[in-house]
Amino acid sequence: MKTLAKISWRNIWRNRTRTLVIITALVLGIMGGVFSAAIRLAAEEQQFEDAVDNMISHIQIHHPEFIANPEPTHRIPDGRQAACNIAQRPGVKSVSARSAFDGMAASANMTTGVRIKGVDPIAEAETTRLQELLTDGTYFSEEWRLPPVIAGRRLAKELLSEQGSRIVLTFQGVEGEMVSASFRIEGLYSVTSAAFEERTVYVRNTDINELIGDPEAVTEIAILLDDVDEYREAARELQDAYPNLKVRHWADLDPTLHYALEVLDQLLIWLVGIIILGVSFGLLNTILMSILERVRELGVLLAIGMKRFKVFSMVVMETTMISIIGGLIGLILSYVMIRILNVHGVHIPGAEGLEDFGFASVLYPRVDLPFYLQIGALVVVFAILASIYPAWKAIRLAPAEAVREE
Amino acid sequence: MKTVIKTNGLSKTYTNTAVPVHALKNVTLEFKEGEFTAIVGPSGSGKTTFLNVIGGLDKPTEGHVVIDNVDIATMKESQLFDFRLRHIGFVFQAYNLIPVLTAMENVSFIMLLQKQSKREMEKRAKEMLEQVGLSDKLDIRPSQLSGGQQQRVAVARALASKPNFVLADEPTANLDTESAFNLLDIMARLNREENITLIFSTHDQRVIDRARRVITLVDGAVDKDEHFERN
Repeated sequence: MKTLAKISWRNIWRNRTRTLVIITALVLGIMGGVFSAAIRLAAEEQQFEDAVDNMISHIQIHHPEFIANPEPTHRIPDGRQAACNIAQRPGVKSVSARSAFDGMAASANMTTGVRIKGVDPIAEAETTRLQELLTDGTYFSEEWRLPPVIAGRRLAKELLSEQGSRIVLTFQGVEGEMVSASFRIEGLYSVTSAAFEERTVYVRNTDINELIGDPEAVTEIAILLDDVDEYREAARELQDAYPNLKVRHWADLDPTLHYALEVLDQLLIWLVGIIILGVSFGLLNTILMSILERVRELGVLLAIGMKRFKVFSMVVMETTMISIIGGLIGLILSYVMIRILNVHGVHIPGAEGLEDFGFASVLYPRVDLPFYLQIGALVVVFAILASIYPAWKAIRLAPAEAVREE
Repeated sequence: MKTVIKTNGLSKTYTNTAVPVHALKNVTLEFKEGEFTAIVGPSGSGKTTFLNVIGGLDKPTEGHVVIDNVDIATMKESQLFDFRLRHIGFVFQAYNLIPVLTAMENVSFIMLLQKQSKREMEKRAKEMLEQVGLSDKLDIRPSQLSGGQQQRVAVARALASKPNFVLADEPTANLDTESAFNLLDIMARLNREENITLIFSTHDQRVIDRARRVITLVDGAVDKDEHFERN
């Protein structure tokens, strides 16, 4: 086997240029695959962070009627107790019991529709990291005469207001009556999704519940899980536990995001698949050419008594060696490339307009170590598959004819 | 003298051509140990086919090839690989050395396939290369050797595995006169000193003049089988 490996190794360098060309193709293919995966992971993380972690959380629970009519009349019965119970469940990281409903926000200049979210500041900070998203002001710490509100920067701009400005929120009470109250903008937050930032305000649930007339009101329970991948299972279990409520996971709550991620996943599979197939065919062609150039030599090996299996192994070994060289160089260069891009970011041209839909215009590619190993293994496996046809051609040679091949 | 190869009613017909080609017709011959035989005849007379069939590279349509009391015509392909490895040495017209191996490695390679020990292999390879006058070219690759030198390495390779006989298909066809004579001297000496059975297919009068037996094939059949007394 050692001599066979030595022959294979020397064989691949017989046509140095050809081998270097195919190794370069392999390296570029791997870099392309890793880059695509890194971009996909970055996009997924960015969108998850912005949409799921920062805004909607992993799972939300509402009164079934609340979905169509987000009003205080559709409260979760014993909502606080339910939130406490859910917080105790295994796999649940944090829970925010909110008093959320639609209303109007008005400044001295403008009026606009908003989703008012009455939150417990501590529970909300743990669940959606709202506090970390503040760009101006403070997080429910001022003791003003007017109750505080945290508004999106874009909303403040639309209302021609700023941090410290007074705005009036108008909404329904639990009996369906209209209630208006003045709030002062204590802080401004910013997220990638312009739509969310333009129409979501946060107030203390103690303030808002007093105004709607139910100090214990809960219309929305937002849940953050320890492991987001468990979201389907966790949502199913919660639905079983609370059959009278509507339990929805992030993919239900933001189907566009879910779809976008699915599309990205599919895109990646196809892209990596096409790259690997392309490179494999390149490799197949290279090895096949080298076999056709060596017909006489292979004929001699078969004639002097080298078993077909060994000739087959030699050809497979040659391909494997090329793929391992290309694979290693490709993975090392990919690693360096991703490290650099992870620091500097990749600017997606024209993506600025997509921020309204939650897509960032700068992505920071990142790849987990297992992916490098997977793509390395895939390249070697496909290279071995690509070598089967040339190796088969080699062992089908009739030695008597092959040794006389011109 | 011991019979090394015995063919009986050997026929070979190629049917994958527009018209069936009868390459060998009822060839019955015996080769004794230590014979130096030239198979001659015009192109298409069946020399190469005969060598292929007795070398186990091709199967006869009819007849038997008995080597060491075994009829190789009935062997399976996998058995033939092993048989060729252990019993037959080949020398080809175009030398056909493995270009990526040195002279020493080329000669050792066949013994490696025979699973001989490394020490044994090296000793025998050196010995054989010395016998063909290339003891100073052990680590040289074929591309750096002349045609004559390459063919001598091929002879060393063929003999390294201690075969029952060596089949040489036009071994001097690509060589200049000096190289051809040099090679023939070496082969004649090995034949004489080591009692190695040599069977050449050739057009080359230089080879024919050295052979102690000359078999002439015409249209696939034995036309003449002559023996000569030579030194």
